[in-house]
Amino acid sequence: MMRAMSNTTDYLKPILLRLGSMSLAISLLTVLALASVIGTVLLQNQDQADYLQQFGPIWYWVFRSLGLFDMYHTWWFLSLLGFLMLSLSVCLWRNVPRFMKEMRSSKITISDSAMKHMKHSRHWKLKDQSVESVLLAVKGNLKEWRIREEQRGDVSYIRADKGQYHKWGYICVHSAMLVILIGGWMSVQFGFRGNMSVPEGAKESEITFLKGTSTEYMKMPFEVRCNEFSIDFYPNGMPKEFKSNLTIIDNGKEVLTSDIIVNEPLYYKGVRIYQASFGDGGSDIRLKLLKLDGSGDVDFAETKIYTTFKDEATGITLEMSDFRPYNVENMAQIGEPKDFQDLGPSVDFIMRGAGLKAVKIRSFMNAFELNGENRGNFMQVSFSGNTQDFESMALGLDMSNPKEWELLQRFIVRLAGADLSNKKKANMQAFKAALNDVFGDQRPDNFQAMAMRVLQAVQVIPRLPWPYIPVLDDYDQKYYTGLQLAKDPGMNVVWIGSALLVIGLCIMLYMSHRKLWLVVRRQGGVVSISFVGLSNRNPLNFKHEFNEILSKVDDDVQALNKGDTV
Amino acid sequence: MTAIAESNGLWENMYQGRAAFVRYWGYIGLMLGATGLALWGGDGYTEDAYIFQLVGQDGLVWLGTGALLGAGLAIIASMARPEVVNGRIPKMMVSWFDGGALMIVLMGILTIFEPTSAMVSYENQSNLIGGNIVMTMNVVFLFSAICYIAYLFAPASFIGGMATAAAWAGIYSGGAALLLRWYESYLFMDGDIGHAPVSNLYEVFILLFCITAIIYLQWEKRYEAKAMGAFVMLLIATGIFFSIWLESVGQAEIKPLVPALQSYWMKIHVPLNFVGYGSFAVACGAGMAYLVRMWLESRNSKMVAVFPSLDALDQLAYKSVAVGFPAFTLATILGAAWAAEAWGGYWSWDPKETWALIVWLTYGAYLHVRISHGWHGKTLAWWTVIGFVVTVFCFLGVNMYLAGLHSYGRLS
Ligand code: HEM
Repeated sequence: MMRAMSNTTDYLKPILLRLGSMSLAISLLTVLALASVIGTVLLQNQDQADYLQQFGPIWYWVFRSLGLFDMYHTWWFLSLLGFLMLSLSVCLWRNVPRFMKEMRSSKITISDSAMKHMKHSRHWKLKDQSVESVLLAVKGNLKEWRIREEQRGDVSYIRADKGQYHKWGYICVHSAMLVILIGGWMSVQFGFRGNMSVPEGAKESEITFLKGTSTEYMKMPFEVRCNEFSIDFYPNGMPKEFKSNLTIIDNGKEVLTSDIIVNEPLYYKGVRIYQASFGDGGSDIRLKLLKLDGSGDVDFAETKIYTTFKDEATGITLEMSDFRPYNVENMAQIGEPKDFQDLGPSVDFIMRGAGLKAVKIRSFMNAFELNGENRGNFMQVSFSGNTQDFESMALGLDMSNPKEWELLQRFIVRLAGADLSNKKKANMQAFKAALNDVFGDQRPDNFQAMAMRVLQAVQVIPRLPWPYIPVLDDYDQKYYTGLQLAKDPGMNVVWIGSALLVIGLCIMLYMSHRKLWLVVRRQGGVVSISFVGLSNRNPLNFKHEFNEILSKVDDDVQALNKGDTV
Repeated sequence: MTAIAESNGLWENMYQGRAAFVRYWGYIGLMLGATGLALWGGDGYTEDAYIFQLVGQDGLVWLGTGALLGAGLAIIASMARPEVVNGRIPKMMVSWFDGGALMIVLMGILTIFEPTSAMVSYENQSNLIGGNIVMTMNVVFLFSAICYIAYLFAPASFIGGMATAAAWAGIYSGGAALLLRWYESYLFMDGDIGHAPVSNLYEVFILLFCITAIIYLQWEKRYEAKAMGAFVMLLIATGIFFSIWLESVGQAEIKPLVPALQSYWMKIHVPLNFVGYGSFAVACGAGMAYLVRMWLESRNSKMVAVFPSLDALDQLAYKSVAVGFPAFTLATILGAAWAAEAWGGYWSWDPKETWALIVWLTYGAYLHVRISHGWHGKTLAWWTVIGFVVTVFCFLGVNMYLAGLHSYGRLS
């Protein structure tokens, strides 16, 4: 039995030596660094189809089988970390006992050959002299040093140490790494992290998270209700604060209500709840449908974001996708000082219908004002369906005024019946007739501006292929708040490890173990004195320190000797 | 001549004996006063109001009391037991505190030339003078770089002195400019967007130049390593051209902080990170000097005489890493703590985080290579240079090429 044991240790020993070696440490750190690079260059956890398109089938297959699309969770990356832990343990296991022993009981004596190799040394020879007085004088100069003495025959040794606990730095740093890795493992093993979206007024108790490439669900031990979500803006339209007012409901009872903002999470039952994102939570929307059939009629569509409104009469559908209460834009020309203006609320939807090209539309509720002048409503249209491809389209009319819409319709009707040989005159007459149709004798005071708008609108609106123009009319906004919920039992372990790491590093890098030896040897009538020093790091500073002490020691020795060195 | 000698004497006296001792405790008292104000003063600590409390009447009372108490106690102690003044106060700290105080005074003087709030607006920041001070810093640092390089070819003490003086001038203008920017950020939008000047690439660049120069000058002062300055300043000069470009594309504007950055962690995490980056830059300078000296030696060039010894350069590179590594470690840990508080996880393998880890592993490996026998001088010198390339990628490359949560430094 014993035999087998020692055999295995014999067998294991070279492996362990390798595992705890410095060259392995260097290789491991380098390999980990290189592996991490891959994970940052290749975007992680994207859609598989995107990868396939990006790399082509062969490379896609190679990368996929190496797990490079979710690299930090592959078996080989985790094994690398495991290997690092193993290696750290082995190097601690090998070195700690040795270092402890060294710290506790380092040799006081020093051999002559060791002394010869020291970079910093000085030797004196004195005539008959009491050894004690030499030692006493020297010790007086080393007040802040740990001093130990030993007598061996004719030779007296003094050893002085400073920073002898330096090796604790090594122990701290390397065990800290282990602690941090263990903490990380605990976080992954026993913790969770996921998202939930809660519309204002609604409750939710399930989080979703990505595992590899699939989405998973998890039930929380409580429900979260979002009472309100709000955004504060800077005057330039940048968001200043995202805030959710949340109520935690546990077992049907409301236990606490609190605001959270980014950087200030809520903590309940070991779970932290963070403000992570937001979006539209299904706002109620009313659209005006301004009919283009010349009747001047206006219909209304009552709908909600994320639903599809279907108009039975025309077969047209409106897929409501987003609503924004503000649209702050810089209206200045390039090179001019910035000029931020809020263009007001807007709604995004996709319009489809038989015989129509599907388009994405962002419809604004308010008319656009430039230099205090009402330029009428506008919308943005994208034929590709991407928001980047939005093109602005000025409608010309102020749609908030139903009379203006009616005026346009009448104008179009009147124009159709006009004699077009003199275009200008025809326009004038048609417009006058239209004015009379709509307003009778009581012309509005601002009808000139209105005329301008109508004349502009008539260039655009009759050309639209749609049966009507949908314009945002009214809304009741509702946000959803995007929360992140996380529980992390390994976190505190990681913090302990981190503290240990920083402390250890400071000891290791800023404290050096400095050793001085004074060897006094009595041979016949002559006392020979050697003073040597050694530092395990920072030689530049030690040179300075050694020389400073040396000059004091030298003074003492010279004084004792009263000038007559042999 | 005598005047200079005398002022030198005065200068030395400032950093010795009672003068240094009393000042040291005065500064400590001042900082305790600031802490006290944060903890117990006014209506309690709120981040934005605190800065106004500091410069207001509350601040005067708390900081003044702290400073007077500290200095007073120090005077009494030094009278009662004169030998305490030679005791173990960190003398170096006194000059650091002085430097900090001087920067604040400089900034205070500069604010006199600032336009009033009525004359600036968020939309039009062109009246602010901070940009001019930054430009001064740029010019002075570039001048310093030229002098350091000239020093390699003409090692006259006059040129060397000018190089060093210009570097210091650069640090003070940079530091004062940053503080001024902090002040400026409160000048419009009713002070709504005021924030520490470490929120975008342009600002942290200034910080990086100053920190790099400060660390280098410490080595110069103590270890006669002037030739190394040419290499460190070359790196700074390169950075300055980049920062001038940033300004030209409108990145120098003061912008509001997005909610994710509105945290006191930013003020700790970012500057500490730049202590790391700055030290790694200095280490790279030492490494380059090492490699150049080796090359010169192989060609028996006379210029070798200007350089510190290979051994000294190797040591200086190590010393720089020894400053940078713990600072960078702590900065990364604090970044993780911030992430834990803001995003719910201390580590999400976000590209910036991962690159910080890569930088950290690179320099960790460097420290191991140093004590591992077999690999010496030249390898280590190359390691510092390549390590800095990795650092630069972490600092800039990630923002330019990779997506992630740390998009604040995004170039657009
Ligand atoms: C992953 C993180 C690691 C970190 C942050 C780290 C950090 C350090 C540091 C800062 C030093 C001191 C260098 C100096 O004295 O200038 C050191 C030394 C050392 N490291 Fe590591 N190390 C790590 C991993 C490892 C591993 C995996 C091993 C073993 C396989 C190892 C073995 C050693 C040894 C043997 C020493 C020398 C101790 C001495 O004699 O003073 N380290 N380490």
